Amino acid sequence: MSESVIELHGIVKRYRNTLAVDQVTMSVQSGEIFGFLGANGAGKTTTIRMLCGLTRPTAGRGTVCGLDVWRERHRIRQRFGYVPQRFSLYTDLTVIENLRFFGGAYQVPRAELDQRIETALGNFELASRRNARAGSLSGGFKQLLSIACALVHDPNLLFLDEPTAGLDPVHRQSIWDLLYELSQRGRTIFVTTHYMDEAERCTDVGFIQEGRLMAKDAPSRLKQRLEGKLLELHVEPVMDALPAFRKRSDILTVELRSGRLRVLSDDPEGLIAGLHKSWPYPELKWLGHENVPPDMEDVFMAYSLGHLNEMTESPRLTVTAS
Amino acid sequence: MIGFRFWRSIGTIAYKEFIHVWRDRRILLSIIVLPPFFTLIFGHAFEEQQTLQDVPALLYDADRTTESTKLIEQLKSSKSFVWREWKEPKTGTPNLLKNHASAAVIIPSGWGQSLHNGDPKPVRVVLDGTDTNTAPAIEGVLQGLLGEFQMKMRDEMIDNLPDQVFEMGRTLPPGVRNEFGSAMTPWIVERLVLYNPGLKFIDFIVPGIVGLILQLLTVTLIASTITREREVGTLSQLLVTPLRQSEVVIGKVIPYLLISLVLIASTIFLSYLHFGVHFQRIHLLGLVCLLFLLCSLGLGLLISAFSKTQTQAIQFSVFVLLPVFILSGAFAPLDQLPEPVQWFSQFFPLTHFCHAFRQVNMYNAPFRYIVPDLLVLAGGAFLTCAVAAYLLRTGDD
Repeated sequence: MSESVIELHGIVKRYRNTLAVDQVTMSVQSGEIFGFLGANGAGKTTTIRMLCGLTRPTAGRGTVCGLDVWRERHRIRQRFGYVPQRFSLYTDLTVIENLRFFGGAYQVPRAELDQRIETALGNFELASRRNARAGSLSGGFKQLLSIACALVHDPNLLFLDEPTAGLDPVHRQSIWDLLYELSQRGRTIFVTTHYMDEAERCTDVGFIQEGRLMAKDAPSRLKQRLEGKLLELHVEPVMDALPAFRKRSDILTVELRSGRLRVLSDDPEGLIAGLHKSWPYPELKWLGHENVPPDMEDVFMAYSLGHLNEMTESPRLTVTAS
Repeated sequence: MIGFRFWRSIGTIAYKEFIHVWRDRRILLSIIVLPPFFTLIFGHAFEEQQTLQDVPALLYDADRTTESTKLIEQLKSSKSFVWREWKEPKTGTPNLLKNHASAAVIIPSGWGQSLHNGDPKPVRVVLDGTDTNTAPAIEGVLQGLLGEFQMKMRDEMIDNLPDQVFEMGRTLPPGVRNEFGSAMTPWIVERLVLYNPGLKFIDFIVPGIVGLILQLLTVTLIASTITREREVGTLSQLLVTPLRQSEVVIGKVIPYLLISLVLIASTIFLSYLHFGVHFQRIHLLGLVCLLFLLCSLGLGLLISAFSKTQTQAIQFSVFVLLPVFILSGAFAPLDQLPEPVQWFSQFFPLTHFCHAFRQVNMYNAPFRYIVPDLLVLAGGAFLTCAVAAYLLRTGDD
């Protein structure tokens, strides 16, 4: 079995009156692509900053490659790359100057640096832009350059904080291709994202909400927890149906997807049976229903709205309505 | 152990910082243009400050006698004043504001006669008292002119004395005679001016000007470097690299130190060429400049590490630099200020720079005279840089 690269034990970060990260315990195994999911302000970035040694944990313990994230932060730095949420390279330096700068900062041997930079320029589609100022690049290329700079010292571990936020699908795809390739070469990837289709591509996913880790598991196992609880109802007119169904107490969540109502319920059979018995909406027409397999979007919604419980070790999960 | 790693880290940061300055063309241009420009402007502003010249003044002669005409001739011979006739003498006190004058001289009627009566009337002088430096200076010059006039009159009187007076004088005891003779001779000083024999004020003021410009430039230039990285987010990126805080700080100081050394050398050279300021013991002056610039850069870096935003950094720089203008001894001798103010002024690098620079360049003082200043500057440079490096670590939360 692979060893764990990241270990967190009850790690806490408190800023004055707010608890940004609350007792998070988890581990990330070598070679994983770990997706860290959560709403804005849930504590994703704070967790990454603690792991990178940029901010001191208030309590608890964390290790990266077996080294303490705060006390031994200077020793860890050689081993990981960090792509922050905001574009944080020197805009007045050119692409190649930025790469050279980080190569120097990471003490990449001179003899290797030029070769590595050339490879990176090729891999990251930046070869033709080598002499462009970083500030003049488009969002996608800026992000590619950020990743290239974070990888210039060939680290074993890469932290990416929302690397694809605001990017077009083409660049998103090329960034994920890169992450896969890195993962194949045994690198560990720790990535935060808002995109649920990206969460599906991770080998493991953690949900964080208000600083608390709600779940951490493989996407398939997380989806299993919702299996058999998801329905798509075909009701018309659908825009009137949405508020009507939102009022029902026997439904956990309802949302609109592809013109259907996507309904999460503890007891879908009971719900359908009840609706068959008496259809309470004379102005709505019920055209049919089907059971659907959950995707990560459903999982995320269920966790965000508190319809799934705290992490438990069992794959089957008790579901409670709030 | 200072090894290859250290030099490479510093070189990496320094090169990057240099590109920042090089690519920011507006800043680059102002760095090149402003110091010599200000040196010329400030130099000329202070060059002639010590003597009064062309002070606009009003003149009214109510006496209209030979004596008053002679006095007016005496007054007009001075380059200190530009005299104009006072047009409305009936109003009593001249309106200096309306007439754009700083002083007025009124010779009262009967003045000429009063000189012969043994009861000389005073000449009336009206002064603009808003500038408390100029008013007494004008009065002094007028007093001097009046004194010269009196001496002339006395010489004339002695020449015209009747013979009886001399005969009578011979009958006086020799002691009384000698005392009388001595009283009638103007008493003078024999002066020997040391350290600045030409009494060139520009020689005194140049270190003040150069230091002030460089202090302003270094502090404001470097004050935004760390805060800019903090604002843009590159600081986090810098701090996750294996670079040490000390390497970042030293790497940031070096390019600015080189730039400001070139600037201080060129402004000093300019003041030599243009104002003919004399410089000696260049190696010692160089050491003073080097430590002064290091200390100023450290101060700027400290402000930078302390501030959260670039706006704050610039504001803090202004707060710190404002007292320097007045309290550093750059333009006025420090020892005339109250003692607590003098202690306070010891906190400014410019104070020690000006003192040490003048000790070397004007007094030709032995090295040990400037050791305290050099120690303060070196200690200040080290302390500010060390605290800046420390704040770089914790300034993140």
